[in-house]
Amino acid sequence: MLPIEVSHLVVAYRRWFKPPFRAVDDLSFVVREGEIVGFLGVNGAGKTSTIKTLMGFQPPTEGAVRIFGMDATNARARQLVGFLPETALYSPYLTPYETLRLYGELHGLRARPLKAQIDALLDAVKLTHKAHTLNKNLSKGMLQRVGIAQALLGDPKLLILDEVSSGLDPIGKRELRDLLATQRARGVTIFFSSHELAEVASICDRILVIHQGRLIAEHRLSELTGRVESLEDYFIRTVQAGRDILLEEAHAA
Amino acid sequence: MTHTLQITRALMTAGLLETLRRKDLYVVLILTLLLTLGASAFRVFGVQGLEIFVKDVALTTIGVMTTVLTVLIAARQIPEEMQRRTIYPLMARPITRGQLLLGKWATATFTASLCFMILALATLGLLLMLGIGVKPIFVQYLILKLLGIGWLCAMVIAFSLYMTPAANVTLSLILAFGSGLFGRLLLMAHWEHDLSALWLNLLYGLLPHYDYFDMSKKVVFDWALAPWGVIGALAGYAVLSGSAWLLMGWLRFRKQTIG
Repeated sequence: MLPIEVSHLVVAYRRWFKPPFRAVDDLSFVVREGEIVGFLGVNGAGKTSTIKTLMGFQPPTEGAVRIFGMDATNARARQLVGFLPETALYSPYLTPYETLRLYGELHGLRARPLKAQIDALLDAVKLTHKAHTLNKNLSKGMLQRVGIAQALLGDPKLLILDEVSSGLDPIGKRELRDLLATQRARGVTIFFSSHELAEVASICDRILVIHQGRLIAEHRLSELTGRVESLEDYFIRTVQAGRDILLEEAHAA
Repeated sequence: MTHTLQITRALMTAGLLETLRRKDLYVVLILTLLLTLGASAFRVFGVQGLEIFVKDVALTTIGVMTTVLTVLIAARQIPEEMQRRTIYPLMARPITRGQLLLGKWATATFTASLCFMILALATLGLLLMLGIGVKPIFVQYLILKLLGIGWLCAMVIAFSLYMTPAANVTLSLILAFGSGLFGRLLLMAHWEHDLSALWLNLLYGLLPHYDYFDMSKKVVFDWALAPWGVIGALAGYAVLSGSAWLLMGWLRFRKQTIG
């Protein structure tokens, strides 16, 4: 079963006295087991709307989204998924340990294995020394580490990460890359959106580029090696080309 | 079912820790004790026979503080998760929206009930220290108040899915404090405008009645125990009406876009 299967997805938002705004427009793609896929696009391209439908936070207006063969709105589909939102201000009145215990219990993990997993994850994200400090006394980068740890709770088979390195310092980013490499070695599938193209280039197998809700390019990174100067140049050119095509289509219509 | 209980327990533990660390409860507790002590200070001036007055001040203060705390605790359960964006990692777990709603209601009810019990028992202790006793009806007062807290939490959580937090708190406080007034206003309308009793009864039945759960005046005036059948009927009202509020909230939340 494919970890992610998106078929003709449309996400439209209703507006007063105007036609609905299609944030995602007929988007189709799949992510295969063990792949690391980068989801790229400029601000407002439709990345977050797509990720929201993948997580079941928003029902699709049209089309279908399947996670391990199950409808994404089905709660059981999330049993094998770890998710890191772009920015989450974890409760200022809980400690990282209590935060992870809350999410672990919601995931259905039992007390003893949960404690062992929390200890291991806090160690992996280098937060053991802050395990019992209130979240309100942690820096943004440390909170992002709490987020990474909560995403890894329950040994997910699929990780969906939205702007994963946001708030991390260069050392944190390096550690995150190592952590994702460990997950990959375990066979975990990773789907993530990012603006950090260097990061994408260093860990991805494949990239999807989205613009105005439509998929405008899909490449394996190995295909691009030697063909483009840098991923940044490729991204800018692809988005501009996509923009031109969409403009032409609009004029023709 | 086991998973639902585990979800509820996890949310309740986290919610309780948050409430205790926010320190709202301590402020309310100190205020209540100060007001009760202040009311009893009349004794210093040699004024006697003020037991009823002191009890009235103490129970009214507990009632007001509990209602305000309950509304504030329940009103922040889901909107605060949305505002902090922690609703995403919460809903990223294998839990349904119904389970989350139920868990949040249980969290608010448990936390507010605990705050109320601390307030009520501390005040009772103070009253007893001042030589002012209460009759067994105080137990029924506690039971009804706890039922009322569960009912109020259901209403506030349902409203929190339809309106902004500020509007929710305002409307909920108006309904909670004004509910005792509805019956009297409808009676006045009946006298003044000769409105049909059927319509008035229908309107009276449709309005939320938090006032049903307040026995404080009966405690103040040392009434005998109320028939347990009445308490049972009120428990039935709390369960049915509270479930209706939660159903109303779920109907909105089940299809709502998160974030």
